[in-house]
Amino acid sequence: MGPDPLSATFAALADPTRRAILARLAGGEASVNELAKPFAISGPAVSKHLKVLERAGLITRGREAQRRPRRLALRALQSLDAWLADYRRLWEQRLDRLDDYLDTLQGKPKGDASR
Amino acid sequence: MASSYSIDLDQDPCAIITKREFDAPRALVFEVWTDPKHLAQWWGPKGFTTTTSAFDLRVGGVWRFVMHGPDGRDYQNRITFDEIVKPERIRYHHGGGDDLEPVQFRTTATVEDLGRNRTRLTLHAIFPSAAERDRVIKEYHADKGGGNLGPARRSFGQIARLSVN
Repeated sequence: MGPDPLSATFAALADPTRRAILARLAGGEASVNELAKPFAISGPAVSKHLKVLERAGLITRGREAQRRPRRLALRALQSLDAWLADYRRLWEQRLDRLDDYLDTLQGKPKGDASR
Repeated sequence: MASSYSIDLDQDPCAIITKREFDAPRALVFEVWTDPKHLAQWWGPKGFTTTTSAFDLRVGGVWRFVMHGPDGRDYQNRITFDEIVKPERIRYHHGGGDDLEPVQFRTTATVEDLGRNRTRLTLHAIFPSAAERDRVIKEYHADKGGGNLGPARRSFGQIARLSVN
């Protein structure tokens, strides 16, 4: 049983090399060879990173026989983006309420103007 | 194209840091984390209420609660405390399942005294869990250069290395 898609996305993005690969692909599709060039790691190591990215739904593979160019799949990044926005909103609201509650506990008027 | 997502690929998105300063003494900002009676007053975001069914504030202790959403939906939550250092730090992790925060975040809440009755709360949330990281490494051998590869792929690796130099 695999993790939820978001977990896979997070795990894939935890590695700086994989993020650099995605940044490169954000500029357009590229073959494994082209992707390996800027990195001081072997082609097979790049292939492994690509496999992780592919399993996380962050990239797709082109049909072109020899090159099989990799492309950025925007959907996974977008859903991560949306999740992060939700997470931030949740904590913003939570901390707003905490701010008000701390004022109440200290006997200050609610919804203070000092923010 | 540029604005269709806004993930900063230079940053590790797995660490999320949130900070807020309050006009309240540090002891009080710490205290509101330590009692379900307090937590019910602020933990739910706007429109939510929080009902606690179990609260055991000690290392390994669990806080079980339901967040009732404004749409009538209930969100079961389970938080396990990993560290409690009064009055400066609480570390905890979420359980997963039907949580509003669905993935396994580990969070550290740090409470700093800024003097003059001001306190800074910093939340540092980290994902993935160590277990998830380990699973990825195990499944994809992501930590190895790839020792057991066939000759064709090895020579590909050499070509790639040549073009790097």
